[in-house]
Amino acid sequence: MDFVASYVNQLRDVSGLPFYPWLFDFLLVLTLALHLLLVNLVLGGTSLLLWGRLFGGSFGLRLSRSLSRVLPISLSWAIVLGVAPLLFIQVIYDPFWYFSNVLSAWWALIFLGLIALAFSLSYVYYLRGGYEGAGNPLWPLLSLAALLVTAGIIHALSLQAIHPEKWSAWIFGDGQSYRVGARLLAFELPRFLHFFLASLAITGIFLMLYARYFDTRPDYEPTYLSWVGRIGARTALIFSLLQAAAGLWWLLSLPADFRFYTHPLFLLGAGLGLALIGLLFRAQRDPRSYALKTAILAGLTVFFMSYAREALRMQYLSRAGYTFSDYPVHPSWSSTVLFLLTFVMGLVVLGYVGLVAYRAGRGQKEVGAHGWGKAALALCWLWIVVMVTLGLIISFKNGALP
Amino acid sequence: MYPIWIVPYLTSGLVIGLIASFHILPSHLAVGAFWFNVYIERKAYRERRPELLAFVKRYTLLILIFCFVFGSLSGVGIWFSATVASPRGLSALIHNYVWGWATEWVFFLIEVATIYVYYYTFGKVDERTHLRIGYLYAVAAWISMIIITGILAFMLTPGKWLETGKFFDGFFNPTYWPQLAARTFFMFGIAGLYALIISATLKEREVAREVARLAGGWGFAGLLLGGLSSYWWLKKLPPEAQDFLFGGTLPYLSVLLKVALLSGGLVALYFLVFGILFPRLNNLPLAFLVLLVLFLGILAGEGLREGLRRPYIVAGFMYGHQVVGADLPAKGIKSEVEALNEEGYLSRLGYLPPELRRITDENRLTVGRILVAHQCANCHALSRKGLRSLPGLLEGLGLTDPEDLASFLEGLDGYPYMPPFVGTEEERLAAGAYLATMVSKTP
Repeated sequence: MDFVASYVNQLRDVSGLPFYPWLFDFLLVLTLALHLLLVNLVLGGTSLLLWGRLFGGSFGLRLSRSLSRVLPISLSWAIVLGVAPLLFIQVIYDPFWYFSNVLSAWWALIFLGLIALAFSLSYVYYLRGGYEGAGNPLWPLLSLAALLVTAGIIHALSLQAIHPEKWSAWIFGDGQSYRVGARLLAFELPRFLHFFLASLAITGIFLMLYARYFDTRPDYEPTYLSWVGRIGARTALIFSLLQAAAGLWWLLSLPADFRFYTHPLFLLGAGLGLALIGLLFRAQRDPRSYALKTAILAGLTVFFMSYAREALRMQYLSRAGYTFSDYPVHPSWSSTVLFLLTFVMGLVVLGYVGLVAYRAGRGQKEVGAHGWGKAALALCWLWIVVMVTLGLIISFKNGALP
Repeated sequence: MYPIWIVPYLTSGLVIGLIASFHILPSHLAVGAFWFNVYIERKAYRERRPELLAFVKRYTLLILIFCFVFGSLSGVGIWFSATVASPRGLSALIHNYVWGWATEWVFFLIEVATIYVYYYTFGKVDERTHLRIGYLYAVAAWISMIIITGILAFMLTPGKWLETGKFFDGFFNPTYWPQLAARTFFMFGIAGLYALIISATLKEREVAREVARLAGGWGFAGLLLGGLSSYWWLKKLPPEAQDFLFGGTLPYLSVLLKVALLSGGLVALYFLVFGILFPRLNNLPLAFLVLLVLFLGILAGEGLREGLRRPYIVAGFMYGHQVVGADLPAKGIKSEVEALNEEGYLSRLGYLPPELRRITDENRLTVGRILVAHQCANCHALSRKGLRSLPGLLEGLGLTDPEDLASFLEGLDGYPYMPPFVGTEEERLAAGAYLATMVSKTP
């Protein structure tokens, strides 16, 4: 094991980190949790769309129309929210992420091709009749199949990364051949199921929110909305229970010496998960009034479960002799501040755009909040002015200009 | 060192290049198009001409699908392909510019939020709000270009960063401003061409003509100013790169420059004739053909930009084969070349099984192949057919003997565009022995 430890530590980037690793780790978990929620909505939404389109009766068909519009948008969000954890994982876990990807290089590229395919198919369905309730169900079916394969790929990439002790054998398995790039090498069914089943539970909660949100719209019949709420609450409950069972199976399959069931982050995540299940039992009676509470609790559960997953990764990697806490740091305060300020600015802008979307969706044509809107646009221009000024000063000082 | 992914014929380097070049089409459209879009939308509101909105809607749908499906995924594709083809190279960039990318990501979020709200609230919110969402998209998208250009330009001319290791010293480097200007103007050219494509599909002929004329003007001006900015960029290139391009050291680069110029000229001609002068002649098949010409030009231009950086990933710092070639005391970094020459390249290949960690008579060819894969395969095909084929090149030089090949490797960095072959003499001999099997197979 010492040999593996010295190798993985040697693989760390020579430049060190531009800030302390805890911040990257926090951002990794936070953005991963958001990414997971959206991925859940895409996977679960595609499954429910198919069910509604094929077997759901007239209400189900109507729901499939709404979902046909939701899916491409959620997939877009899932992708953009996936970029951030992809970035941060390369900062603090570079040896593992890179090695695992190189091992399955072709698959890493196929991964993107399949997402592009699923994305295109969901648009084909939406634009060619899906929104009118008459699209060809073959498209979402193929889209779901492509998404499940991508889920399998990213699952394998994450799993290969935490087993550096197997890397050499994976490449040189049969004597002295050199097999890099063509194979996926790891799969754990309970872990995969734990993620996939969550997608139906989260989509169920999304439907509860949907039923609540469209309450004010005269073109949405109350009977339809209460049907959606009921279906949502039931789906959320059933699949949360199944997901918990898969989670237990995964927990039992972990190396015993980890004693992961005693880890505080795991206990917190699991406790929240159980509370969520309890709340979902109560929500069956009146899903709409429980929608917001349930969604907040589900968000917290996913966030802390993502932290627990992070803690599990740390246990695997410390077994291999690695911890990011001793990664050399050369703090770059200027660029850290650039990001943090931009992030805050981004929240102001996104808040405004979100408000416009929220009000427009509820049928309000004069959305108002013009002061906020003007400020959002002004902040963007201010960002440019500050950057250009800074850039010109530095460029002249360094002789990069004229 | 990470293991090496060997791509037959194409090389892994070209895989990055192809994905990155494709990405230019949707990404520059995503950045440029909305300026044109909000310009037309504003015109429609001001002059009370709702028929113009038909174009705006259709154009937005194109941006939505093409940019947010293929643009976003090919953007992530550049990362993934660099991850698998050149992990240490990408890692070096990320460990210095992670906050740059994270900042860019904030604007990606704004882009995704605004494009969907813009598209789905057409006619559902007041005009002022709708137009504002459009402007927010346009500015956010341009900012994402302002950021990524810093990282791209850094790779070619890291400037003062080579001494200080500081984020902004590398970001605002000698070729930053000309490249930003060129990309900014070219994005209007690309947006203009897409607008011509969309206008050719409009049923309302009068609107189609008007949009085509305006798009022709935007596109022509964009290409012209982009061309001038590119000239500025060429002037700012470091002397070695100038020599590769104009001194005849790497003749293929001047061919790429000519291809880029020629295709730019053809596209500009299309803007002039089929946009500005005779917009009614603009039609879908021809506009698509011109898009292909433009893509060829972009491919050549990006290939040129990449080629000028040879033999480096980050000029003056990290070689194409992912070995750090310079000290950077500010970050405590030492050049790896000397250490690897002394301790051996194999000392860094911790994934090798014990029997391959030392060279023996039995494993010499196997280890030689691994060393060649590590140091050559990113740019050279190991087969007879393919990009910069190693057997082809070595035979062209008349090298067939293992020892001759090993001494050729020793003097490799005599070519200004080649990185040094790093490793001990024993490792060079093993690599030479493997290379000899490659060339001796041929009659």
